[in-house]
Amino acid sequence: MTDLLVARNVSKTYFDTGEKSNVKALDDICLSIRPHEFVSVIGPSGCGKSTFLRLVAGLDRPTSGEIRVSDRKVTGPGADRGMVFQEYALLPWKTTAANIEFGPRLKKMPRPEREKLTRRFVELVGLAGFEDKYPHQLSGGMRQRVAVARVLANNPTVLLMDEPFAAVDAMTRQHLQEELAAIASHERTTVLFVTHAIDEAVFLSDRVVAFSGRPGRIVADRRIDLPRPRRWDALVNDPAFAAHRDELTRCIHGKA
Amino acid sequence: MMSRRLAIEILAFVVALAVWQALSMAHIWPEVLFPSPLQVIATFRDDLASGVLLVNLGVSLKSLMLGFVVGCAFAVPLGYLMGLNSTSRDFFDPLVNLLQAIPGLAWIPFAILWFGLGQGAVTFIIVMSVFFPVLHNLLTGIRMVQPVLVEAVRTLGANRADVIRHVIFPATLPNLMTGIRLGIAFGFRALVGGEMIASTDGLGYAIFNAQQYFQSARIVVGMLTIGIVWLAMDRLILRPIEQRTTMRWGLVREGLEQA
Repeated sequence: MTDLLVARNVSKTYFDTGEKSNVKALDDICLSIRPHEFVSVIGPSGCGKSTFLRLVAGLDRPTSGEIRVSDRKVTGPGADRGMVFQEYALLPWKTTAANIEFGPRLKKMPRPEREKLTRRFVELVGLAGFEDKYPHQLSGGMRQRVAVARVLANNPTVLLMDEPFAAVDAMTRQHLQEELAAIASHERTTVLFVTHAIDEAVFLSDRVVAFSGRPGRIVADRRIDLPRPRRWDALVNDPAFAAHRDELTRCIHGKA
Repeated sequence: MMSRRLAIEILAFVVALAVWQALSMAHIWPEVLFPSPLQVIATFRDDLASGVLLVNLGVSLKSLMLGFVVGCAFAVPLGYLMGLNSTSRDFFDPLVNLLQAIPGLAWIPFAILWFGLGQGAVTFIIVMSVFFPVLHNLLTGIRMVQPVLVEAVRTLGANRADVIRHVIFPATLPNLMTGIRLGIAFGFRALVGGEMIASTDGLGYAIFNAQQYFQSARIVVGMLTIGIVWLAMDRLILRPIEQRTTMRWGLVREGLEQA
């Protein structure tokens, strides 16, 4: 199977206006992701994991090296790399349905087809009945469901997620994690997921990549072979889950 | 709760009117210096019947609307240009800052020289008064657009034109409405001042002219008409529109939550 996403010797140095000096955020990152893989990037705060995600999204440019998605070099943002942000980033003046059909509308998808698609994704994320609500009328968890549906409805090659569940309460977070795991395996979505929560990464992923502290370097790349579907009530006491979590914790803290 | 508030608001007018009537009945000052409410109401009725008041009001509102439309026609495109293009922002910013400090009324001499006495001069003064609050609020609105919204739609395939259409325009609408409301308020003040000096009709001129003939009740009629028309415009048109754009989208609360 050919790789869907390839990062080759990616480094990023940026000028910190506060400290008035150059900061090396990422150092020589090499990473390949296959189709349908769910890959999480973890690491201590400031390790450049979000920077890496922004480079993949094309929102920033690497200082050296290159990133290729579907064998095309990333030079800017595009619909093939849709991103879900921690702060939801929904358009406040658009309803749930209008937010979800935003991408398909840009692509000029005909209206009947678009409406069918919107309905499918509204139901997929469990928001039937909330189609006409504005974001401020929804809870944090519901907003993030809209944000996930908005990107998925746009059929991206890879779904990018930047600590998407960090701002919701703990109980909602576990629900959202279970839903995301189910949706991603059902839709066979390729996901690149950034988080600082090790248990979240292990729970969701087929592979977890650990970055060291600044400048970010890959210090571990582990396959998570836990069976799917994954549920917290089953995994919370699973020794294999605990073993993965503990080993990755040692990787991060040993090199931090 | 709203009806209680309305009652208090009406009470304020009743109290003000009573104090005014009491003061004039005490005959501390001669009537020509301090006209009584009854006198003012009588003059108001006369001027309404003769049509003078409505004609002057019509002239003033026409100047205001024209000046407002022209002012916005310059301020809104310039605002988006400066807000979206850093070169043009750096170019126009010092000029705008300098001109902003000059009150609209300071343009009266040139307004008269360029347009002669009349509505042209008054309209020009209003344009100069409407322009800056609209521009300033629009620029603030563009600065306050959350970068993450732009980034999110970029990863959904939006190009620059899509970003402007789907993010920048709607995001700046509440601030634009605030700017428009302030612009009209500024324009309204400039209107009256401008008409007193640079015109031969309109409400401002009527007030000024009444003073020449010691018709003090007529002065008050003009002043109150201005106040009442502004209050009606603000309460019935401007504020509801401003509130509808902000509140329906929950932008105020949203902004605080995400900060």
